[in-house]
Amino acid sequence: MKTITKNLVKTLLVSILFTSSVFAAEKHVATLRGEVNIDAQKEPSTIANTLNTDIKQGRNYPMQPPIIPHKTRNYEVNLNSNKCMSCHSRNRTEESQAPMVSVTHYMDRDGNFLAEVSPRRYFCNQCHATQKDAKPLVENTFIDMHTLMKSKITTDNEH
Amino acid sequence: MKDMIKIGWQTLKKPSAYFSLGFLVIGGFIAGIIFWGGFNTALEVTNTEEFCISCHEMENNVYEELKTTIHFSNRSGVRATCPDCHVPHKWTDKIARKMQASKEVWGKIFGTINTRDKFLAHRKRLAQNEWTRLKANDSLECRNCHNFDYMDFTAQSSRASQQHSTSLAGGDKTCIDCHKGIAHQLPDMKGVEGW
Amino acid sequence: MTINRREFIKANAVAAAAAVAGVAVPAQASNLITSSDVTKLKWDKAPCRFCGTGCSVNVGVMDGKVVATHGDIKSPVNKGLNCIKGYFLSKIMYGKDRLTTPLLRMKNGKFDKEGEFTPISWDAAFDIMEEKAKKTLKEKGPEGIGMFGSGQWTVFEGYAASKLMKAGFRTNNIDPNARHCMASAVGGFMRTFGIDEPMGCYDDIEATDAMVLWGSNMAEMHPILWTRITDRRLSAPHVKVAVLSTFTHRSSDLADNSMIFTPQTDLAILNFIAHYIIKTDRVNKDFVNKHTNFRLGNTDIGYGLRPEHHLEKKAKNNGKTAGGSSPINFDQYAKFVSTYTAEYTSKLSGVPVDNLNALAELYADPKTKVCSFWTMGFNQHTRGVWANNLVYNIHLLTGKISTPGNSPFSLTGQPSACGTAREVGTFSHRLPADMVVKNKKHRDLSEKLWKIPNGTIPPKPGYHAVLQNRKLKDGELNFYWSMCNNNMQAAANINEEAYPGYRNPKNFIVVSDPYPTVTAQAADLILPTSMWVEKEGVYGNAERRTQAWYQMVEAPQGAKSDLWQLVEFSKRFEIEDVWPQELLDKNLSYKGKSMYEVLFKNGQVDKFSINQVPTDRLNDEARHFGFYIQKGLFEEYASFGRGKAHDLADYDRYHEERGLRWPVVDGKETLWRFKEGSDPYVEAGKDFQFYGKKDGRAIIFALPYEPAAESPDAEYDMWLSTGRVLEHWHSGSMTQRVPELYKAVPDALVYMHPDDAKQRGMRRGDLVKIVSRRGEVQTRVETRGRNKPPIGLVFMPWFDASRLVNKVTLDATDPLSKETDYKKCAVKVVKV
Repeated sequence: MKTITKNLVKTLLVSILFTSSVFAAEKHVATLRGEVNIDAQKEPSTIANTLNTDIKQGRNYPMQPPIIPHKTRNYEVNLNSNKCMSCHSRNRTEESQAPMVSVTHYMDRDGNFLAEVSPRRYFCNQCHATQKDAKPLVENTFIDMHTLMKSKITTDNEH
Repeated sequence: MKDMIKIGWQTLKKPSAYFSLGFLVIGGFIAGIIFWGGFNTALEVTNTEEFCISCHEMENNVYEELKTTIHFSNRSGVRATCPDCHVPHKWTDKIARKMQASKEVWGKIFGTINTRDKFLAHRKRLAQNEWTRLKANDSLECRNCHNFDYMDFTAQSSRASQQHSTSLAGGDKTCIDCHKGIAHQLPDMKGVEGW
Repeated sequence: MTINRREFIKANAVAAAAAVAGVAVPAQASNLITSSDVTKLKWDKAPCRFCGTGCSVNVGVMDGKVVATHGDIKSPVNKGLNCIKGYFLSKIMYGKDRLTTPLLRMKNGKFDKEGEFTPISWDAAFDIMEEKAKKTLKEKGPEGIGMFGSGQWTVFEGYAASKLMKAGFRTNNIDPNARHCMASAVGGFMRTFGIDEPMGCYDDIEATDAMVLWGSNMAEMHPILWTRITDRRLSAPHVKVAVLSTFTHRSSDLADNSMIFTPQTDLAILNFIAHYIIKTDRVNKDFVNKHTNFRLGNTDIGYGLRPEHHLEKKAKNNGKTAGGSSPINFDQYAKFVSTYTAEYTSKLSGVPVDNLNALAELYADPKTKVCSFWTMGFNQHTRGVWANNLVYNIHLLTGKISTPGNSPFSLTGQPSACGTAREVGTFSHRLPADMVVKNKKHRDLSEKLWKIPNGTIPPKPGYHAVLQNRKLKDGELNFYWSMCNNNMQAAANINEEAYPGYRNPKNFIVVSDPYPTVTAQAADLILPTSMWVEKEGVYGNAERRTQAWYQMVEAPQGAKSDLWQLVEFSKRFEIEDVWPQELLDKNLSYKGKSMYEVLFKNGQVDKFSINQVPTDRLNDEARHFGFYIQKGLFEEYASFGRGKAHDLADYDRYHEERGLRWPVVDGKETLWRFKEGSDPYVEAGKDFQFYGKKDGRAIIFALPYEPAAESPDAEYDMWLSTGRVLEHWHSGSMTQRVPELYKAVPDALVYMHPDDAKQRGMRRGDLVKIVSRRGEVQTRVETRGRNKPPIGLVFMPWFDASRLVNKVTLDATDPLSKETDYKKCAVKVVKV
């Protein structure tokens, strides 16, 4: 019994040491590559589908341009036409029930409001993008200001 | 000249002196089949994509643009060829469309759209012809494949199911109203309703 | 059931979103927080961390964290707009894998080249660096030491690094990643005008009638300038946009004249335009006679490959004569370009004659003001300097230059390629303010301003970027510090050069970065680094605009800025360790001093007291060193250019302004250089004066079309071009860690014409490998994406750390600029 316990402790210790050494020292640090040497390559994942949920995604802060929650395959935005605006422009939203582009889009370089969307905002995809059904490789620890504010209020209440 | 026409007409008018009536009827019937079959075969040849894109005007412009769209490549591999959308399936309409096409032969001969720039200059007119046709026939060629009765709204995105279950269902909109440019690039859309 | 269809969808969507987030939907919305002491954000301005456009961004901070960013409405560059990357700047510093401790490859508690990365202290990190640097100095001398820097360094960081290397270690083996990016543009400016950087500015966009893009996909790479171009084109319908590229892309969407040309034939098209201007008698003779000279450049100059390469052996003017030229007159020049007829050029380039003529007419028509914009299509080109020279030719022939709306404009890719790499002169051949190490007068002046002995700066140019990798492989460069770049993901042909170079047992490689990049993985020692608003900084953008920002948040515990690392490391050396005895014997006052005291505590850099740092401001470096080090470095650096047409304002003013365009004379910025009235350096009565050249005349160069280093053949049957995408910046080390940007474009795909795919039995999504003579990379086929290559060309971006396309690319360079051509090599694409 004693030896068994001793061995168990030994095994445990070794495994703890081993795991901690894995955490402490690693050969593959390049997180975006996974556990792969530079002269090798892991098999590229398949092309992810574009999310088409139509569900609005929360914004990280009020000024963040919203991401596009639907497919935009073959949508043309060029000298001839702007497919996005056929739903999102002010005079189309009643029929389309799509969200209207924000009022900032009507402002020229000097902040004056124009009667129509400003040409500087013409190419929607300079700020707005669709999302692929892909899992981020690295977590992001950005903290929402709302979380910070709430924690302050909670702290205030506690004191 | 006048005499020649007269003689010709008289020959046709006179009853046959050498062939039996039966021969003429059966022979005429067979000749009719051959002629009709040949006509129809020729017609069908003109209704293939190969024929359409044998003209570089079609191959380098509209067909090239089609290649990246969902009507060319999609999950199930059912694809639309040029005539699927651009030639009516009903015979009378088809013949009417073919007669119209003689104008296109004219255009081909005189090189109306034989460069990309010329094609682009005519694009709006050409597109409007198709939109008008599809609007008038309630998007018949679309509906040959996309039958409203069998659409599963739950399999559609909520945006799509919302539009299809209301505007399309109620008949105030037809496919082409919303799906312009689905298979080819759009012309200048200034002044087009809904743009 | 009274709920209508829309409400039903809405309710469903909310429930679905709640299910995704894993929260119950509250019966009532929570109360709004309104108390201003809780909701208040601290806002400050900073230039964007990404491209060379140099947008100004407002950064919102709460409780020591960046919580929001948006475009600065007061900035003349972007007037409140950002691109998608800029809007997500708030998140770039918060990737979970930020480095917070130095990591050394170790085995059994000791450094081992084959060891595993093990956390060590900063002291231990500097110990091993000191040991390895001193060993190298002893064995190889200064030439064994090298540094690879960045156009993303702040001005002070680049300046401190350059000084540390050139004056401290006495090696010119320092080069920035801007070598991959801007070197050909620099070469073009120096050769044609004798002074670096654009004469015009972004204001040209609002004043012009026509804009021509030469090998630049501005819609994706310079999105905010593209908003200005779009604004101009759409709000003034007479304005025309022409786009030249080797494949169709998003910029083509705005093009009135979109031209796809066979790679390398841009040289012919440029000469054709010159010929067209002459043929149609639209040369601005008065301007040409007064302000230009004509020269015939040397040809057959090789491709910057290793000297034993057959192409180099074959080249006639490979080497010192590559940049040579001889004077000619206008008629000889006219005859030279007359070969480039529309028909000949059309045949060579594949661009229809009509399109060529329409393009040339924009330049030739005296009533049309025209801007040319170019980036990597011209610069990453084995004849990149030539391409730059040739575009200046057509602006000079017509006199369409240096006036509002008439502007040949070289754009930059990095936020401080101009401010740091070029103006500070962190290249292996350069010194601040356009001076070069080869010139004794320039060295003398630099030594005087740096208060170091005459003869300290070595006269021979050091190893440039591509040569550094070759020298690492050959074991001649043994102590190597890579900072603020990701060259293992960027440098061409890493299979044959960079990777074996970094892993060569003779070499010790240090990599400083905020994140564990591919380059970090190839290193021996990784130093955790602070970034962007975690430090004070100055950047200089493409229109000569110098912009400053304050430190706004603390870096993660353990991470130190590049500036701290450079200056702190200098403390590890006595000046006797780095300078030879004869230099010290002649200058006894330096004896016994540390390198830190000679370079940084020299009475100039430490001139400004810590009290000048506003008390409510963070400034980790100033408080660590005990003086306002950023201001001291900036002011010492500024002394190089003041009075020499590179004038900068006082440091403090940059914290007040949304940037100023140099030369800043009498407190006023300069919008158009070389033109009387707008440039204070032009003498009265001269009208135009290209004062970079002694006689004030710019040079029109006769240079031919020459083929690319590698073209498709029977086996490697396609062209490969690499480049960027809008959503990721460069190697993606920042943007790939922002979930929204990652999910927008997660992987680098190979863009291919559907017919090319079909011919090879491939379809969209197929797993393929791109194979060149140097290596291969696997990826998936995209036949209908945003880039539409013509038959015979494929495009693959390089932001993806897991799919290294630079195993395939060719390390051929422009022999004049030493810049790699990333846009042309021969590959085959095969199914895996």
